[in-house]
Amino acid sequence: MEHAYLGIDVGSISTKGVIIDKDNRILSSEYRWTEGDPIGAVKELVRSLEAGFDKEKYKIVATGTTGSARKLAGTIVGATMVKNEITAHAVGTTTFYPEVRTILEIGGQDSKIILVENGVAVDYAMNTLCAAGTGAFLSSQAKRLGIEVEEIGDIALRSKHPTPIAARCTVFAESDLVHKIQNGHSREDIIAGVCNAVVANYLNNVGKGKKIESPIVFQGGVSKNTGVVAAFERTLGCKVIVDENGHLMGALGAAILAKKSGNRNEFDFSMEEMEFHTREVTCGRCTNNCEIICVYRNGQMIDFWGNRCERGANFK
Amino acid sequence: MDKPITIGLPRAMLYYRYKTLWHSFFEELGFSVIESAPTSKLTLEEGAALAIDEACLSLKIFLGHVKALIGKCDYILIPRISNFGINHEMCCRFEALYDLTRNVFRESGQKFLTYNADMIQKKSEWAAFMGLGQFFGFTVKAANKAYRTAKKAEQRQQKAEQKKQELLYRSEKIKILIAAHSYVICDAYIGKPVIEFLKGSDVVPIRADVIDPEDGAKAGKELSPTCKWQINREILGSIVQNRDKTDGIILLSAFPCGPDSMVNEIIARRVKDLPILNLVMDGQNGTAGVETRLESFIDIIRFKEGKL
Repeated sequence: MEHAYLGIDVGSISTKGVIIDKDNRILSSEYRWTEGDPIGAVKELVRSLEAGFDKEKYKIVATGTTGSARKLAGTIVGATMVKNEITAHAVGTTTFYPEVRTILEIGGQDSKIILVENGVAVDYAMNTLCAAGTGAFLSSQAKRLGIEVEEIGDIALRSKHPTPIAARCTVFAESDLVHKIQNGHSREDIIAGVCNAVVANYLNNVGKGKKIESPIVFQGGVSKNTGVVAAFERTLGCKVIVDENGHLMGALGAAILAKKSGNRNEFDFSMEEMEFHTREVTCGRCTNNCEIICVYRNGQMIDFWGNRCERGANFK
Repeated sequence: MDKPITIGLPRAMLYYRYKTLWHSFFEELGFSVIESAPTSKLTLEEGAALAIDEACLSLKIFLGHVKALIGKCDYILIPRISNFGINHEMCCRFEALYDLTRNVFRESGQKFLTYNADMIQKKSEWAAFMGLGQFFGFTVKAANKAYRTAKKAEQRQQKAEQKKQELLYRSEKIKILIAAHSYVICDAYIGKPVIEFLKGSDVVPIRADVIDPEDGAKAGKELSPTCKWQINREILGSIVQNRDKTDGIILLSAFPCGPDSMVNEIIARRVKDLPILNLVMDGQNGTAGVETRLESFIDIIRFKEGKL
């Protein structure tokens, strides 16, 4: 049996999974919406991954999880490596693009920039308090304009004169946008303006003070939006690479990190049949009132977290 | 005195800078000194309810600590510390703190105690402490003796802390300098989880605020000759003195901090040879966002050193 490695990236909007062999070749991959149910999404993801995977030839010896639900996902799949999404994306991208200097990433609720020198990440920044200029902003504006978020790119590319839209803050951007609509700007110009605003916002916030050097790889859900890609290329004045597997880079990074770490625990596909649920409990043993999350498998608690101190450590 | 007068110290803001001085001075004069308990979620919630929305997280925490002391002591000490000279100034919160707090709690019946340190107005710390002594009927001689003893204790404590800090630089592990106000980094609710996370990740966190104030302010001129704020000057000085001995810097600040928002920008622009993480704490409940940022920052340093 050859060894294979599973990587799962559970984001706020979408859940991605990939199985790779020892040479980082993709054996099976899957992408689906998280829809506010990370546990259900992971189970469905594993089911789809299993369908396209040769269990006679390979066995999964290590599993890595990443994304904002990495801890929860890691617990239910028995991960050997749980890693933050920045490191996972850096590792995934540099494995496939060793020459890359800048990684731009815009996801559903956060955005980041990773600077790379000689194949290793040397600096990064992430959006701070608000989710301005992320996928969530694009989705809500698409809804306002009565189009699907997937259509934004094609419509934006038809625009000749993108409408300037205030980019500093999403709330201001939105009121500016409404004003421009009511003033009679055409829909494609508005939509192209929204794409420009996302880019301007990203470069003003996350990219502030960072030296963006080429080659540039753009990923995260928003990289599927050709309007935003075009706006980046126009603003930065150079080509921006969007990999067809760009959305899988976090999952790939998690799988590669799991492979590298040396921790081994054979993955069991039967987890998709098990029943998992979580329960939030307030500890109440001191005035911090920590919210502790308990995870149960088939009714038995397998893990918990969220306590700030030892008083909550032996939580039952 | 039958029963000693009790002085309450809110465990927030300048408490961390002056705790030895305050304790020693009042105890020397025969007072009893109590402190509020370390910050918890409740402290922050209660403080936030008393503050205006725009107040900084540290001020909200401070008000929570004052509330915890109301009725538990005879006086709550809240000095007005304005400056140590031109361009050695404190954030205006510290000028307003006494008046602001007294007004917030004006119906509580609680008595507050203050002193005024303002070198631009020629009001020294010494004179302020003599005033405190006189207020309670002590002679200048007795107050002066207590102040001298307290100053010595303060220096001993500072030297001991600085020495302990120096030893940390000898560690072989990854060392990260935390540039933060002491009331942010020492706070049990906002700073301590960051320190604990770093320690748990096999990293040595080193406090930039532990530095001789005069030396620090002098050294800080290299990064900004015109910085207005004393505490930020000291932190800048610590970065100048220690940047060669650390692997990265975390700029840890409480939202929204005026001085930090400006000075941290200066640091990010002028310190180009070290990875820098800008971490703004906003009293959010979950620690996930903070952990993601800290973890990836440590990974970046390990990447650089080829350890990942």
